[in-house]
Amino acid sequence: MLDVSPRVREYENLPGLNKLGIPAVTPLPAGETADTLRIVGRFGADILAAGLHNGQQVVYVKPEKLVELAEFVRTDAKLHYEGLTDVSSIDRSELPLAEGDAQFQTIYQLRSYTRKQHLTVVCPLENDGDLPSAPSLGGVYQGALWPEREVYDLMGINFTGHPDLRRILMPAHWPNHPLRKAMPVGGEEVPFTLTWNDAEFATLGTQILPAESIAPTVPPGMNRKNMIINMGPHHPSTHGVLRLVVELDGETVVNVDPDLGYLHSGFEKTGENKRYKDFVYYTDRMDYLSGMNNNFGYVLAVEKMLGLVIPQRAQVIRVIMGELQRIASHLFWLSTHALDVSGTGMSLLMYATRERERILDLFEMACGARLTVSYIRVGGVWKDLPPAFLTHLADFLRLMPSMIDDYEKMLTDGPLWEMRLRGIGKLTRDQVINMGLTGPMLRGSGVDWDLRRDMPYGGYENYDFKVPVASEGDCFARYVVRMEEMRQSLRIIAQGVQNLPDGPYKADDRKVSLPPRAELDVSMEAVIHHFKLMTEGFLVPPGMIYHAIEASKGELGFFIVSDGSARPYRLHVRGPSFNNLYAISKMSRGAMLSDIVTNIGSIDIVLGEVDR
Amino acid sequence: MGLEDKLPDGIITTQLEALVNWGRVNSTWPLLFGLACCAIEMIAAGTSRHDIARYGSELFRASPRQADLMIVSGRVSNKMAPVIKRLHDQMSEPKWVIAMGICASAGGPFNNYAIIQGVDKIIPVDVYVPGCPPRPEGLLYALEKLREKQAKETFRQYRDLKSGAPSASPDQIESLESLRSKQRV
Repeated sequence: MLDVSPRVREYENLPGLNKLGIPAVTPLPAGETADTLRIVGRFGADILAAGLHNGQQVVYVKPEKLVELAEFVRTDAKLHYEGLTDVSSIDRSELPLAEGDAQFQTIYQLRSYTRKQHLTVVCPLENDGDLPSAPSLGGVYQGALWPEREVYDLMGINFTGHPDLRRILMPAHWPNHPLRKAMPVGGEEVPFTLTWNDAEFATLGTQILPAESIAPTVPPGMNRKNMIINMGPHHPSTHGVLRLVVELDGETVVNVDPDLGYLHSGFEKTGENKRYKDFVYYTDRMDYLSGMNNNFGYVLAVEKMLGLVIPQRAQVIRVIMGELQRIASHLFWLSTHALDVSGTGMSLLMYATRERERILDLFEMACGARLTVSYIRVGGVWKDLPPAFLTHLADFLRLMPSMIDDYEKMLTDGPLWEMRLRGIGKLTRDQVINMGLTGPMLRGSGVDWDLRRDMPYGGYENYDFKVPVASEGDCFARYVVRMEEMRQSLRIIAQGVQNLPDGPYKADDRKVSLPPRAELDVSMEAVIHHFKLMTEGFLVPPGMIYHAIEASKGELGFFIVSDGSARPYRLHVRGPSFNNLYAISKMSRGAMLSDIVTNIGSIDIVLGEVDR
Repeated sequence: MGLEDKLPDGIITTQLEALVNWGRVNSTWPLLFGLACCAIEMIAAGTSRHDIARYGSELFRASPRQADLMIVSGRVSNKMAPVIKRLHDQMSEPKWVIAMGICASAGGPFNNYAIIQGVDKIIPVDVYVPGCPPRPEGLLYALEKLREKQAKETFRQYRDLKSGAPSASPDQIESLESLRSKQRV
């Protein structure tokens, strides 16, 4: 077991570093909207606060009435919040709480697809000693089941009525709940200098950590009379370190239980200890096939809290990069999916990665990195586009459509692809909405929803593009949706290139963006701004926000709570692959073992995002 | 290899060693083992632009019993550590390990409760590649360094090998200064 005893980082606790009034609690919502009026009208005094906060509808409700509220907003015709996208939690013990204020809160993000509305429900839990409890929303929204398990695992909040409350990300025998403020970050002390004579190298080549296997247990609900086999975590077809416990009756799948956490890296705990600008680096490493999109989502959330206005050129550059990244991510998805499913996969992998290398060349031109880009920063982008970028982008746009046609021909001309994808992994429209799935999982089952069009962000309202929707709900429908998404992304990029305005590539606000280097020679204010931004970082006003974008895999959401200082107080990432992976059991039931591989490829998971 | 057991003391086999090393160097088959972001660059090293196959790593084998080289590409979490140890134990000699990326080398940017600060805490590593992620060319350079190491191996190393013993003693590790002096400009 690793030593997780408290390790105090001395320099971070120096007195006098924080201003008066920091830390501060999130202000209560104010104002009213039609939805909050209706909710307050129905529940009266059980609603502790309701209104708008940072432009979003927020409702605070007592825990006893939470399930009733969820049922009401889901079924009421005027509200119709059919989907729950996220459950997160917060440990407020390091905030200046008033008497009787709850230490733990659970926060739910509800979404109405028909009315295009979003509602945040906050539930302050009773101070129940060491194990606060909240009612489980699993009966109302299936999409709440896994996020609640994650909240139990990392924060230690007990969900009463949850059918299967066990750890999901940490190992089963982990003794504590890491996201609590009382738990230290852990890790090791890093010395400043190392020489070969240091004690660290005396043990080079020997094993100094115990790495004992935990005896695997059969997940609850599995019948031991059937054959229970183990897929992963080391498996060629699971797209990363995913472990699936599969219960088989002959060759037919009865149940699939994913065992996650093999790549859990503590992003959320890390986020609480890094400045806002530094966390952009970490967002690349979550969905590592989609760095630009991750940066984009996080940066938009922070900018919304800051109320920052981004110049036009930066917005267009961001959209171009985001769509290029979407194409790159889908190309890799296609390569690995075809590799798993059909025998000719290796050749498609070579062709699609050849095109993907072109996109990575473009990224390298703009920011120097191929994969983990950190190009989209708070305030704009890192640096302006180099002159050669647009020339190469024009070449790419010219030859890409015929390449996509080539891939389609390679796959649909043979009988194997259709046989293995049609009718496999069927999900109905109601199922996907209730399970909280997003992205091509939604659009492949007939739900016409795309955050870029329906809740636009970052300038997407200015672009003309089609949202591909297929109604069958099987793997082939999702494949068709993703191929068409690639073509539409090309369209968006072409429009962006055409309308690329001149201007600054990042916001002028000196409290957030660094001044240009030349100004440091002439202006004292610039030097002071530079110093404050590089040492402390910019301060974000206290508040809470949930901002979601349409990333390549689905809805990528960032839930940030700020206490007024330069570091987030709570940073939760709603990774689409985590919520989408919940569907694997339903999709694979009754199918054969090889269809599980097809289904995993069709969901398009990236383990960095699943495990965070 | 059975030859090592049959060698008595005092017999030096240089030409045979060179032949055996030549075979091992030019057909190192990696384990299909990717953890995180570095795995994508490892796959990119296997695709047509960077082409690891020209180094002899034609196939990535999924089964550890058939693989020679374990490229630990990505961050090693607490839950994954026993799995990596078991996979490494299942690989048969001769085997090598490349720690690809700074997460596998030293924990990377994740200095927290969840990530093991370097895979060399549980398995012996032959080559470390810094980078986040290292470019495919960086991985191929590491493969070059590994090939140089493989070419210098002797039968005596394997004859004296006991499981659990370190495969490199401190005097066999080149110092930083000597590595720098060998650096090609």
